[in-house]
Amino acid sequence: MHIAVCLCQVPDTSSVIGFVDGTIDRLRVTEVMNPYDEYALEEAVRCKERHEGSQVTVFSVAPPSAKELLRKALAMGADRAVLVEAEVWDPYQIALALSRAISSFYVDALPDLVFCGKQSTDFQNGQVPPMLAELLGIASVSAITALTFSGECLKLEREIEGGIEYLEVTCPAVLSTEKGLNVPRKTSVKAVMEARKKPIDLLPLIIDEPPYVLMSGIKAAERKKICRFVQDEKELIRILGNERALF
Amino acid sequence: MNNFLVFLEQREGVVKKASIDIWNRVQELAALSEDSAVFGILAGSADIGSLAGFLVGDGVIYHAPEERVSFCNPEYYASLVADIFEKESCSTLFFADTSLSRDLAPRLSLRLQASLLSGSLHLSATGGEDGACTRPVYSASAIASFVAQRPLRIYTLPARKADSVISLGGHITFIALELRHLESEELSAVVRRMVMCDERLDVAEAGIVVAGGRGVGGAEGFALIEKLALLLGGAVGASRPVVDEGWRPHAEQIGQTGKTVAPLLYIACGISGAVQHLAGIGSARTVVAINSDRYAPIFDVADFGIVGDLHDILPKLIVEAEEFLKRK
Ligand SMILES: Cc1cc2nc3c(=O)[nH]c(=O)nc-3n(C[C@H](O)[C@H](O)[C@H](O)COP(=O)(O)OP(=O)(O)OC[C@H]3O[C@@H](n4cnc5c(N)ncnc54)[C@H](O)[C@@H]3O)c2cc1C
Repeated sequence: MHIAVCLCQVPDTSSVIGFVDGTIDRLRVTEVMNPYDEYALEEAVRCKERHEGSQVTVFSVAPPSAKELLRKALAMGADRAVLVEAEVWDPYQIALALSRAISSFYVDALPDLVFCGKQSTDFQNGQVPPMLAELLGIASVSAITALTFSGECLKLEREIEGGIEYLEVTCPAVLSTEKGLNVPRKTSVKAVMEARKKPIDLLPLIIDEPPYVLMSGIKAAERKKICRFVQDEKELIRILGNERALF
Repeated sequence: MNNFLVFLEQREGVVKKASIDIWNRVQELAALSEDSAVFGILAGSADIGSLAGFLVGDGVIYHAPEERVSFCNPEYYASLVADIFEKESCSTLFFADTSLSRDLAPRLSLRLQASLLSGSLHLSATGGEDGACTRPVYSASAIASFVAQRPLRIYTLPARKADSVISLGGHITFIALELRHLESEELSAVVRRMVMCDERLDVAEAGIVVAGGRGVGGAEGFALIEKLALLLGGAVGASRPVVDEGWRPHAEQIGQTGKTVAPLLYIACGISGAVQHLAGIGSARTVVAINSDRYAPIFDVADFGIVGDLHDILPKLIVEAEEFLKRK
């Protein structure tokens, strides 16, 4: 099987996120692999382990600093990495760049599966996977929590509002991954060493299509509230039920 | 002309409340301009008779009652929606923010070459010239605004908890939606079946959420949380360690790698208030924290707090709530 995985990096939420001049203060954040992408990569590597002769290639549209991220992916079991160096934010432009990178890498064929995280934790758009599927002209299923192979088709599960959906899909397809699908492996020192020998291809791509959406401003959210400490349960119920009429 | 199209989502023949809410909000928007008409699209068999009492305003709804389109196939649904959007010269398409629309809206963004603005907090802003959308980003530590760069737009809107008071009235016409290309279209991702959890309210859709963290101490401890949630007509939520320990299902996890909730009341029991958890409750209206640690960060984002052992507090709280509801 040919398996592609799309990865991005996001600011580590445990670092303090500050803002200068209407954008994130890059100097103060550490970038990590998008948590949902770890499930995507892990699932890809598991598919490869199940199907002999498979190859996992990771793709990222990101600034040059993303090489670290790709090294981590190689250490987790990916075979090759392709970096499209670009500072784009718009989901449409990212999907466009990914679809071109994938088409050029597989030379006009399509990979059997493309895994993506269900969304990035920074902007939480979740738009790239279905857009990529649309551009590649293939099926997509978002936020899967289970995947099993059954002959020619894949059986999938995902959580929907108040229930579970069971789906079937045939390859090629874009699948985006939700927490609960698997537990991503830790990388060993040996794997990290070996990853240094694996190639990272730099793919020059020019994205001159204008974005569909622009971010026009960002500011820190004011979250702090003054907590009113209540002495006993009766008073709390009185406040919530009477004063605030919440139930 | 400034026509609006609303995607009405049905599940098991019932049109989702969130979709009805959006139809009604779009009606308010349309009322602001003179030349706006509202259109709807509904795929799959649904009891449209019962809709009459809920949908306000004038409008035309295209309905395909065929059973075979009851389950969403994003590729096929996208072509149905795109056809109507173009046929009625619409400028804006609206979805409730659901797992279905998260699959469908991005495809339509490309097909219609329309800007997709996900999770917009306010619809009023969408009426503005620039079509700006404001919403939390970076685990709700920041608020960002986004502007559409294309003349056509798609919005997915999170559910609003408070029902607005709107007068019924107007006239809605249903027109049969023609199912074209159904045979030729590759239906490559197919929903085989859905299993709904027995009338349990989804945490992302609930108006009241009672959530438990590691402080609850184990799966059994959640009996108290469940009891309070049931009593108040709310849903149970959980922090990540609770899910990772297997005390509760992942569907209940709230936070950065779980669900985002926006209830009118959020009661956090034995939850410390880590940033990744707070990421999911940024839009909760009233927050109550119950925690034995007076200095737990959750109190910094809470409106009301009780310091103490939740195993003592919750039973008393349940008794008081029962009393209160009885008297009401
Ligand atoms: C990439 C990433 C993603 C994450 N995503 C999420 C996410 O989506 N959701 C999420 O919740 N977390 C997430 N986390 C984890 C997060 O960082 C915290 O570890 C987690 O939220 C803590 O859960 P907790 O508050 O239940 O547990 P703890 O932090 O252990 O807090 C337990 C609290 O209970 C109190 N307590 C203990 N006993 C009692 C008692 N008897 N009565 C009253 N109070 C008591 C304690 O004082 C304490 O404040 C994520 C972390 C990472 C790194």
